[in-house]
Amino acid sequence: MKVKNYIAGFVVISYLVLLGYLYLGIGQGTQYPAKPITIVIHSKPGSAIDYMARKVSEIARNYSDVPFVVENRSGTQGLVAMQHVLDKKPDGYTLLGVTKSFLSTVMVNKSKVKLDDFLFIANMVDDPEAIISNQDRGFSTVQDVIHNSKLDKKQVWIGPGTGGRDHLMALKSWEVLGINANWIDYKSGPQSILALLRDEAAIYVGNPSDIKGKSGLDVVSIASESRLSSLPDVPTFKEQGYDLYESMWRGFAFKKGVPDEATEYVTKILQEVVNDQEWKNYCNETYVFSNFEKHVEFTQRIEQEVEETNNYLNKAGLLAAYQAQSKIPLIYILLIIVGVTLTLLLAFNKFRFRRISYDQFIAGGLIIVSLFFYYQTTLFLTPENADVTNPALIPRIWIIVLLILSVILIVKSRNKIIETSHSKPGTVLIIIVLLILYLLSMQWVGYFFTTPIFILITMYLLMYRKPAFMTINAFGFVIFSYFIFNKLLHIDLPLGWLLI
Amino acid sequence: MGIFENLWLGLQEFGHFLPILMMFIGVIVGIMVGVLPGLSPSIGVALMLPVTFGLDPISALVLLVSVYLSSNYGGSITAIAINTPGTPGAVATTFDGYELTKQGKPLHALVTSLTASTIGGLVGTIILILFSVPLASLALSFESYEYFALGVFGLTIISSLAGKSPLKGFISSGIGLLLITVGFDTQLPFSRFSMDIPDLADGIEFIPALIGLFALGEIFFSIEKGDNQKVEKTTAVDLSNTLPVKKLLKLKSLVLKSSIIGTLVGCIPGAGGTIATFIAYDNAKNASKHPEEFGKGSLEGVAAPEAANNGSVGGALVPLLTLGIPGSASTAVLIGALMIHKLNPGPELFSKEPGLVYGIFISLFFANIFMFFVGLMGNKLWIKIIAAPKSLLYPIILALSFIGSYFIQNSVFDVGICIAFGVLGWLLKRGDFPTAPVILGLILGKMIEENLRLSLIKGEWLDFFTRPGSLIIILLALVSFFLPHIKRKLKKIN
Repeated sequence: MKVKNYIAGFVVISYLVLLGYLYLGIGQGTQYPAKPITIVIHSKPGSAIDYMARKVSEIARNYSDVPFVVENRSGTQGLVAMQHVLDKKPDGYTLLGVTKSFLSTVMVNKSKVKLDDFLFIANMVDDPEAIISNQDRGFSTVQDVIHNSKLDKKQVWIGPGTGGRDHLMALKSWEVLGINANWIDYKSGPQSILALLRDEAAIYVGNPSDIKGKSGLDVVSIASESRLSSLPDVPTFKEQGYDLYESMWRGFAFKKGVPDEATEYVTKILQEVVNDQEWKNYCNETYVFSNFEKHVEFTQRIEQEVEETNNYLNKAGLLAAYQAQSKIPLIYILLIIVGVTLTLLLAFNKFRFRRISYDQFIAGGLIIVSLFFYYQTTLFLTPENADVTNPALIPRIWIIVLLILSVILIVKSRNKIIETSHSKPGTVLIIIVLLILYLLSMQWVGYFFTTPIFILITMYLLMYRKPAFMTINAFGFVIFSYFIFNKLLHIDLPLGWLLI
Repeated sequence: MGIFENLWLGLQEFGHFLPILMMFIGVIVGIMVGVLPGLSPSIGVALMLPVTFGLDPISALVLLVSVYLSSNYGGSITAIAINTPGTPGAVATTFDGYELTKQGKPLHALVTSLTASTIGGLVGTIILILFSVPLASLALSFESYEYFALGVFGLTIISSLAGKSPLKGFISSGIGLLLITVGFDTQLPFSRFSMDIPDLADGIEFIPALIGLFALGEIFFSIEKGDNQKVEKTTAVDLSNTLPVKKLLKLKSLVLKSSIIGTLVGCIPGAGGTIATFIAYDNAKNASKHPEEFGKGSLEGVAAPEAANNGSVGGALVPLLTLGIPGSASTAVLIGALMIHKLNPGPELFSKEPGLVYGIFISLFFANIFMFFVGLMGNKLWIKIIAAPKSLLYPIILALSFIGSYFIQNSVFDVGICIAFGVLGWLLKRGDFPTAPVILGLILGKMIEENLRLSLIKGEWLDFFTRPGSLIIILLALVSFFLPHIKRKLKKIN
C-alpha cells in the first residue's frame, strides 16, 4: 500500500508548516498597539466583572485600532488570573480585570503575588455594597434592622465567603450601626439567596444587582454617597444618618514595567468607553455607579483600602491566625520517602514478601498517609472570635475511618497468596516516567515538539510497529489538537520558554 | 389552558431559521464537548457564551441549552468506548458500559445509552414544562440539613458499587473523602493540607483527578496485563442486526423512573446530575431481577445513569427559571447569558417573556430528538475507534488526557494531578479496589462537610432527625444501605 505512505508524508509536511507558522510568526509590529489586547478575568463567563470586561471590549471597538479580547482564568479567588498576567511579558498586551476582592485575596493567601506587582490603570465602576432582606421581615429602613437586632439577640447576617468583601462589609456595618449580630458563611451567592428566600436570615450582604429578577427580596440600604438612578427607591445609609460607605470597585491593571505608550493608549480608550452612552446604559442596567479614576487617584484609593481591609481582617481574627500558620518542610521529605519506597517496591515487583500481601501493602501505605494527614490537622488554626466549627473535625473523621478500615484489611488479608505471575509493571513504570518527562519538557521546549515524540515512543513501547500509521497518528494528533485547542478554544498550548 | 397558549408562543419564537440552526450547531458541538475528556458541560457552555453575544436572545439560549443537553450525552460515548468518562455525569456509565465493550458488545451499550439519554432528556423537559412551579418549592425546601442527608445517602451507594469486597469499596471512598478536604476550609479563608504549595491551595481539581483515575488507571492496568497487544473483537457494525430493540423495550419503565430521579435531583441547586446518576444506578441495581449482572455488563446499568443524567438537565433549569438561582455549574453560565442579553432570570422571566421561556422548552424537545439521530450516525465512527489496536489507541488517549487536564486552568500542575491519580487508580485496580467510590467521595465530600458544619452552627445534631425532609432522606439511605444485605441473607435462607 502506497497510499498510507503518501498520507504520512502529507501529515509530516503539514506539521512542519504548522511549526514554522507558530515559531517564525513570532515577532511584533513596530508601533503599539500592533495586536489584540487580552483582558484576563478571574471568574467564569457571565459574572459581574466578566460582563463588564465584555462590555468594555464591545464599546472599545468603536475607538480602538485593535480589539480587546476577554479571557477567563478562574481559580483560587483570583490568584490564578493574577499569576497568569505576571507570567507574561509586560508588553502592554495583557490587561488584568481587578476588583476590590483582590485586596483580601492577596493578604489572606500565601502566595508570591503582591498588589505592588501591578500598575493599576483605571477604575471603571463602583458597585455599592447593600444589605438585602426578605420582604416578610418588613425592614424598610436601617432603623428597623437595628431595632430588630435589639429584640433578636441572635440576628443572623449571611453572605458568601468569610474574609471576603461581603463579610468585611458586615463587620463594618455592625461597627457603624452598633449592631451585635452573627455572621454565617453560606459559601456561595446562590445558596445565600436561597437561604434568604426561605427567610433563614435577617440580612444578606451583597450588591443591588443580586435581587434582579427575583421576587420577595428588598434592598434595605446601599452604602454609597447617593442613590442609584436606576433604583430610586432604595435609600443610602448616609441619608439615614450613618457614615457607611463600601463598594466593590472594578477596574483594570497591567503588570508593572509596561511601556508608557501602552498605559496612555489604554487609559485613553477606557476614558472614551466611559463617556459612551452605551456605557451609561450598562451601568444603569446593572445597578452600579460609573466612577472613572485614573492611575494616580486609583492607586491612592487602593492604598487606603489596603489599610482598612487589614484592619477588618484583623478584627475578624483572620490575619492573626493566618500569620501563625507555620511551614512544614518535614512533610515534603516524608512524602518523597514514601513515594520513592513505593516506586522501588513496584519496580522490583516485590509485592510478594513472604508475609506481606498486596492488600496489606496498600493498607500499610494508607495508614502512613493517614497519619501524615492527622499530624497536619493538629496544625490547623481557628480564629478565636469566629463562630465556626473546628476545621479539623471532618478530616479527622475520615482519617479515623480510613485507619480502622485499613487495620481490618490487614488482619483480614493475612495468609493470602498473591497471584501476579505474568504481570509486567515494568512497562507501566516506564510509561509513568515518560509522562512525567513529557510534562516537564513541555514547559521547556513546547507542546508541539514533545507531543509527537511522546506518542511515538509510547507506541513503540507498546509494540506497535507500523511506521506509516505511527507517523500519521503522532503528527496528526498534534495538528488536530492545534486546531481544536488553539484555534477553536483559544487556549495557548505552551511553546516552551527555551525556544521563544 | 395557559400552557398550550404559552407553548404556541414558544413555538412562534423558536420556529425561525436562526434558532433552529443554532439548535443543530449546539447539539453537534455539545456531543464533541462531551466526547473530549476535560471539557465538561459547564466548560462547553462557557466556551460558547462569547459566540452568543451577536445573536438574538432566543437563538443564544437555544444554542447554549443544546450544548448543555447534548454534552451530557456525549460524555457517555468515551465512557463506554475507552473507560474515560468525558464528563463527570458519565462516571456511572463506565461500570457496565465499558464492560460491554470489553465483551465485544459496544454497540449495545452505545445505543442503550443514546436511547436512555434521549428519553431522559425528553422526560426532564416535560416535567420542566408541567411542574416547574411545584418543583421550585422542592428546590427551595432543601436546607443544609437535607443537603447533608443527601450526601450521606450518596455514600451508602458505595455498597452497591463495591463489587466483591465492600471493605475495599469503603476504603476507596475514604481516600476520596479525605482528598477532597485538601484546599480551602469550608468556613474560613485558610487552606488545609496544602503544604504551602500555591497550586494546591484551592484543592484538587476534579476533572484531572477523574481523567487520571479512570483513563490513565485503566490504561496502566491493562498494559500491565499485556492487553495492549490484543485487538478488541467487536461484533458486526451492521446497525440493523445489532440494535437491541427487544432488550431496549424491556428497559422502558426503568428508564422512565431513572429520568424522574434525574430530574428531581437535578432541580436541587448544588446537588447536580452526577449525584443523580449514582442514585439512579443504585436504585436500578436494588430493584433489578438480576443485580448480579451489574458491573459485569448489564444494559440496565447503562440505561439508568444515562437517563438520569440527561433528565437532570431539565431539572437544573427549574431553579434557574423559577427562582433565578443556578442549580449547576452550567446553569450558572446560563444565568450570565441571560443577564448579558438583558433578561433577568427568575419568576419575572415567565411573566414578561413567556415566548422566550417556552421557546427554550420547545427547543430542548427538538434538540433531544436531533441528538438521537446524530448519535446514531456517530456510533459507526465510535465503533471504528474502539476496534483500533490498543497499542495505537493508548498513546493517543494518554496525550488527550494530558491536554484535557491542562486545558481546564492552563495548569501544568493539574496534569501532574492527573498522572498522580492515574498511578493511584492503577495501584487500587491491581489490588481489586474499586475506583468509582473514590470519585463518589470526591463528589460528596464537600457537600457533606459544608452542610454538616453549617447545620451545626445553625442548630444541633438532633435537627437532622426532627426535620421531615432530612429524616426521610436518612431513612432512604438506611434502606438503600441494608436492603441488598437483607436480600442476600433471605436468598441464602431460601
